[in-house]
Amino acid sequence: MPQPHLPFQTFKITTFNNFSFSCGEPVILKLIDIASDYGIEKGIGMGGISLNYLVRRLLVFFLTLWVAATLIFIIPRLAPGDPISAMVARLSYQAGFVENSGAIIEAWKERFGLNDPVYVQYFRYIGGILQGDLGYSLARFPATVTELVGRALPWTIGLVGIATFIFFTVGNLCGALLAWNRTPRLFKVLIPMSMMFTSIPPLLAGLLLSYTFAFLLGWFPQTYSYGFGMTPGLTLDFIANVIHHGTLPAMAIVLVTFGYWALGMRGMMVTIEGEDYMILAQAKGLKPFYVLYRYMIRNAILPQMTALAVSIGTLVNGVVLVEVIFNYNGMGTLIVTALREQDFGLIQGTSFILITTSALAVLIIDLSYPLIDPRISLEGR
Amino acid sequence: MSQQKRNDSDRVVLKVDNLRIHYATPQGNVIAVSDISFNLYEGETLGLVGESGCGKSTTAYGILQLVQPPGYIVHGSIEVDGTEVLNLGEEELRKFRWTGLSLIPQGAMNSLNPTMRVKDQIIDVIEAHEGKKRDKEAMRERIFELFQNVGLPNRIYNMYPHELSGGMKQRVCIAMGVALHPTVVIADEATSALDVVVQRIVAQTLIKVKDEIGVSLIVIGHDMGLLAQIVDRIAVMYAGKMVEIAPVENVYANPLHPYTQLLIDSIPSIKERKPLKITEGITHDPRNPPSGCIFRLRCPFAWDHCAEVEPPPINVEEKHVVACHLFDEQFEERRAHAYATTANP
Repeated sequence: MPQPHLPFQTFKITTFNNFSFSCGEPVILKLIDIASDYGIEKGIGMGGISLNYLVRRLLVFFLTLWVAATLIFIIPRLAPGDPISAMVARLSYQAGFVENSGAIIEAWKERFGLNDPVYVQYFRYIGGILQGDLGYSLARFPATVTELVGRALPWTIGLVGIATFIFFTVGNLCGALLAWNRTPRLFKVLIPMSMMFTSIPPLLAGLLLSYTFAFLLGWFPQTYSYGFGMTPGLTLDFIANVIHHGTLPAMAIVLVTFGYWALGMRGMMVTIEGEDYMILAQAKGLKPFYVLYRYMIRNAILPQMTALAVSIGTLVNGVVLVEVIFNYNGMGTLIVTALREQDFGLIQGTSFILITTSALAVLIIDLSYPLIDPRISLEGR
Repeated sequence: MSQQKRNDSDRVVLKVDNLRIHYATPQGNVIAVSDISFNLYEGETLGLVGESGCGKSTTAYGILQLVQPPGYIVHGSIEVDGTEVLNLGEEELRKFRWTGLSLIPQGAMNSLNPTMRVKDQIIDVIEAHEGKKRDKEAMRERIFELFQNVGLPNRIYNMYPHELSGGMKQRVCIAMGVALHPTVVIADEATSALDVVVQRIVAQTLIKVKDEIGVSLIVIGHDMGLLAQIVDRIAVMYAGKMVEIAPVENVYANPLHPYTQLLIDSIPSIKERKPLKITEGITHDPRNPPSGCIFRLRCPFAWDHCAEVEPPPINVEEKHVVACHLFDEQFEERRAHAYATTANP
């Protein structure tokens, strides 16, 4: 069968590759191609993802992005004034006087297409997003939003990804050990004590850590994601430097979150302990540690995964504040800068990217669910 | 199944002696199993019956060392092939489990780990006792053989428990229970949750596998009709006491203990409707049992002596024991009188 022409294949997208999306038949065909590459067959039932579900779930994902993009487009336009006038006003405030300000405003409005009817602007905006073009940063013109976001996003994803991995692993492990009847008594006392940070906001945890370990003890740098004068690259020196800089921000997130996961896990473990299959596992004379991870944790972790998908949005909020405290050059700092500079283009772009990454994370957890719980098969109905 | 042959072996494989199990509650100890003793012979199938809450499952879990808190074993002795189970250390007990005593659990529906394939749950018990197996092909053959024994199709090898029917899960549990050819298998109401047809098939499978592999079997249940079809001897429990152990023909044709009589009488008949007699009398508080005979408050034949002396187990014939004063030789007259007055002795 000849491959249909897929127009979006010509797009070159660097920062995020999920926008190779156009509508209609070619997309579906492309998805089928991708699906069969990963061995997902049509009509798989038990413990798998049916193609039908995959396509529907992806459509929901793109619908989310479209709604987000539209809201982000509409909301600033409801406010009086326009970004160009605001910027020129700011310039004239700084410089004292701007010559021909009226003409400049007109020229720039023309340049950014703000004189076109709203629907033309809207389609131009959506079209831009589809091509990975989020417009210009007004405060740092001619830098594009894509460029700025492209520089900040990997840092945030790295920070959040590693922090999530740590707090999810440590939290669930602590919870499991709290409930296990063979855990040494010492752990059962120490773990709850270490969870006292759970009730303080990430902002305070960040300040506390920064003060103690960066200011007082000087073990870790106070700000930024890598040392000044370092050239980013895949060298051991640079990676060590990044880890050194990232430890405190990651710890700030882990400290305030892991206790929550430990408590949830403990509750689940207690429920699992009362299950009939636990008695059989005991009667079978299996090794205790094997029973712990293969019978107890394996079953208790399932609801925790769901909770993780639900909590990702909240997590991002916390990360923004932590980044600001540590002046970490990720998305959080970028957003705050954009807000401070009233950089409309950048605010729109960063909001959109944060929504996209959150939605993507939830999508991935959603789709991986049948892989970890054999009872769930994501079939289209 | 009427061609049931009596088991003639005299070798005792499981000897339970004076076993007592309590459940600790804030209001005092509930006596779940009260000083029971019995023998299980090689190749024998013993049925353990009684009302709900009479301690039959607790007895089974006591033998298996699986009594869950707040329950605990007060005293007693459980010998399997000469090994005293209660004296085993933690690791010894782990190794002894499933090779000495295995369990076919009560709720097969929920007794399989939902996140593990059927094969993995059988493999894990084999590997826990025989060490890691390198030869995957041999393991597969071994499991297929187990499947064949219990009449399961090979296609379920890679399936998860939720993909099986109730009867199939029960068969998986049976296959698992005999995988290591244990000395004694305890089936704890293994058929309770199934419909009568599947119940019968599963029960027959159980007996077939038992005969092929040559294990001894304890079947716990309250379905007297089903038990009559599959067991060699029946042990009747009442309020934590074992009141009668008898060959199955004797129990149905000539029940001796008054409680056994009432129990047999309460089996529902398809042919006629009859009132339930067993509700007569009062039940006692399990924390504070009555003096003397445990059944005297509900017994139609009780007299003063029953309140004073606890009836000892009396051997009326080989492998037939009853704990009732009526069968003491000195009360022969009373027995003759009592049994003459009942319509259905």
